Amino acid sequence: MNQTQRIILYILVLIAGASWIVLSSETGETTAVAAAPQAGFPAPDFTLKTAEGETYTLSELKGQAVLVNVWATWCPPCKAEMPAIEKMYNEYKDQGFIVLAVNSTFQDNPLEIAPFIEDYGLTFPILLDETSDISHAYQIRSLPSSYFINRQGMITEVVIGGPMSEALLRTRIEEALK
Amino acid sequence: MIEAFQNLFSPPRHMILLVIAAWLGLNLAERRTERYGISKEDINNITFYGLIAFVIGGRISYILQNLSAFTKSPLGIISINPDLFDPFGAIVVMFIVIFAYGQRKQLELWNILDALTLFFAVIAVGLGLSHLAAGTAFGLPTDLPWGIDMWNATRHPTQIYDTLASTLILVLLLRFKPNPRPGVTFLIFSSLTAISQLILQAFQANYSLLFGAFRQEQILAWLALLACFILLEGRLKTVKHKTVSE
Repeated sequence: MNQTQRIILYILVLIAGASWIVLSSETGETTAVAAAPQAGFPAPDFTLKTAEGETYTLSELKGQAVLVNVWATWCPPCKAEMPAIEKMYNEYKDQGFIVLAVNSTFQDNPLEIAPFIEDYGLTFPILLDETSDISHAYQIRSLPSSYFINRQGMITEVVIGGPMSEALLRTRIEEALK
Repeated sequence: MIEAFQNLFSPPRHMILLVIAAWLGLNLAERRTERYGISKEDINNITFYGLIAFVIGGRISYILQNLSAFTKSPLGIISINPDLFDPFGAIVVMFIVIFAYGQRKQLELWNILDALTLFFAVIAVGLGLSHLAAGTAFGLPTDLPWGIDMWNATRHPTQIYDTLASTLILVLLLRFKPNPRPGVTFLIFSSLTAISQLILQAFQANYSLLFGAFRQEQILAWLALLACFILLEGRLKTVKHKTVSE
């Protein structure tokens, strides 16, 4: 292929590419986005109770930044990240940040939850997922799994596995608080 | 089948796919490196230093962008969280280190890039598979029969499109005799990758708009393609590679 033929080919490819960009451009139609456990989607709603019987519904917390942290007492990285989560909760709660720590009670020993909370001095709500409904809705495959939700109820970041460091928590919380 | 794959490599295990791709890519690159005037030892060193620069550069770039968070929690700098990472910064630092290594060893950057092309091509295949396992880079909802169920909708299997396109590019690179002019092999790979991204980004669910209508990712791919064509034409006028034996 000589230089002239190559240049013609380049131009044709670039014109075809530009045409494709125009053809696939935004039409202005917007469709409602279903809730899903992925960044950019509305967070799947849930209602759960704490061991003391207090009820929390995620959708009622709109206006606040929420960290949904799914954990279990037997999970080492869950244990390792709890002090950092507690510290960040205390530091940011006045700015409208709340932690909903969802215990995977259906795969945990319920008797170990209260001593765990006491040992780590946790002050944020600990919710009990006794039926695995939240694990299914959030498609949990690993523990811990953390979902950062902004004030509009949209998931801004998903962190699978752990332990999360303070720096990671800070960057994600500040993003969710914006 | 897709669900079984996703269960096997669910996050954070999806990173294993990239490690496997890097290992396979290096092996392939090593076999052809001497055609581009780069010794096996040099290509191994370049990959080693490049990967270290990628990891450290990604972390440093992330720290610089979130300085206040790390000032309050300085131990986060050495945290094992892979999420504290900026991929764009990582790539920039990696190329700077590769360039510096080449300068030090008096190796042409174009020759190094040609020698690394197969490595990049295999990484691209691994990246597609990694996205499929993690459920990231997912597609727009579709009614097409090959749509896959992901995130509460039947969607374009964009991760599979990406993997197939990258595999096709890899096969083309393996099948055809490398061009003897420095930089041409790398620029052909880059052009084909830009074309595939220009086409496939149209099906991605996550995108940013430019001028209120056009997908930023497609515009960037088009500009990258234009740059590749200009550079390619320039490289085709240069002299041929010298092999290691020459």
